Amino acid sequence: MSRLATQWLPVALSADIEPSTSAGLHVEGHELVVWRDASGNAHVWEDRCPHRGMRLSFGFVRGDHIACLYHGWQYDAAGQCRHIPAHPQLDVPQTIRVPRLAAREAAGLIWATEQDSLTFPPAAETVAAEPVQTLAINTPVDRLADALSKAGWVGDGTFGRLDVEGLRLIVGLHPANDGKALMHVLVEAGMAGPRARIEAARFAQALRDRIEAGVAIPGEAA
Amino acid sequence: MSQLILHDYEMDEDSYRVRLLMSFLGVTAERVAVDMFPGHVHDSPAFRRLSPLGLMPVLEIHGTPLAGSAAILATLAACQDETRQWLPTEPALHGDVMSWLTFSERALAAARQARLCALFALAGDTARMEAEARSAFRVLEDRMTLNRIEGRDWIVGTQPTIADLALFPSFALSRDYGIDHNDYPALRLWLRRLRRLPGFITMPGIPDYH
Ligand code: FES
Repeated sequence: MSRLATQWLPVALSADIEPSTSAGLHVEGHELVVWRDASGNAHVWEDRCPHRGMRLSFGFVRGDHIACLYHGWQYDAAGQCRHIPAHPQLDVPQTIRVPRLAAREAAGLIWATEQDSLTFPPAAETVAAEPVQTLAINTPVDRLADALSKAGWVGDGTFGRLDVEGLRLIVGLHPANDGKALMHVLVEAGMAGPRARIEAARFAQALRDRIEAGVAIPGEAA
Repeated sequence: MSQLILHDYEMDEDSYRVRLLMSFLGVTAERVAVDMFPGHVHDSPAFRRLSPLGLMPVLEIHGTPLAGSAAILATLAACQDETRQWLPTEPALHGDVMSWLTFSERALAAARQARLCALFALAGDTARMEAEARSAFRVLEDRMTLNRIEGRDWIVGTQPTIADLALFPSFALSRDYGIDHNDYPALRLWLRRLRRLPGFITMPGIPDYH
């Protein structure tokens, strides 16, 4: 079972999903599309068009609809199909619907879960942060969380704070496919000038490279 | 340069690099289609007289052939763009553009080859090529991330240059050989900006901006 069934996961930096764009996303076997409508709301859905299974992440956003690249079927923010170009007069059946996840934004991140009813992590509610970088790391997410914790990351295994070299980083993780993890890095607002963000990006890139090389990371206990 | 003849191939990404710059610059050329696959015409003795290494595409300028996208991009940008936006004359920017052209030729060679293997069933160590392509994309992703924090939307300086054109097609086409764009948010946004430039044209595998 994927962690999406049991918790809220940070799946992208809010800033990386600009209005009217979509992107593909893997979370432990799930293929998801994250997209932002023209009025700024973020959505996380299964990345599969109900018509013939084309990835919706290849499609394009029109206002508050996302349209499939293949035959142009359009879905509204509730996942309901609203328009089929080959049959423009058709009142589209209610059953043609894309399965959605619950999505929200906090701490500069887009979060998703399959369980609407789950409590949102309180630590993420109160943080204001500026985006730095999402890094794909060829290491299992638990190993990454472990390495980060040893380096001083204070969090719940998914989201937390890391003070390094005069920077306060906010780091969120999610497991991708094939034993990969995605690490979303931000800096706490207040130290968010370009300098701090550049230093944070360089730190995060070096950290990724060390973790992949199996080298101890700065601050990690031997 | 009145008399231009472009020997190109629709599915060849280096031909596309040149067609795209020509479109941005409003330069037109007579086109001669070279049947790379399955014809392998770029390997023929006749074509090798124009392009000794078999590099594609070839641009003939008043009968003088220029082979390969890097040489053609730099020459067109130097001769056909009075603003010098696409190949800045300022030495630091010029040098940076030229080093990214080298990056394209070297680090993205595996990405080009991986795509040809996938599309035209060529033999080769595709796992190694994909790994090399991913490491090149990661270098670009890191660079574009830093640029974006500094408020710069392009690889070099504050405007699109031939460095962007030399680099982005290999990334844009990576789904042809099974590398999705999930891991490269900064490159994805860069690609979107490129597709929205006036004069942008497509090739199979690189759709228009909708
Ligand atoms: S597969 Fe999506 S519209 Fe046909």
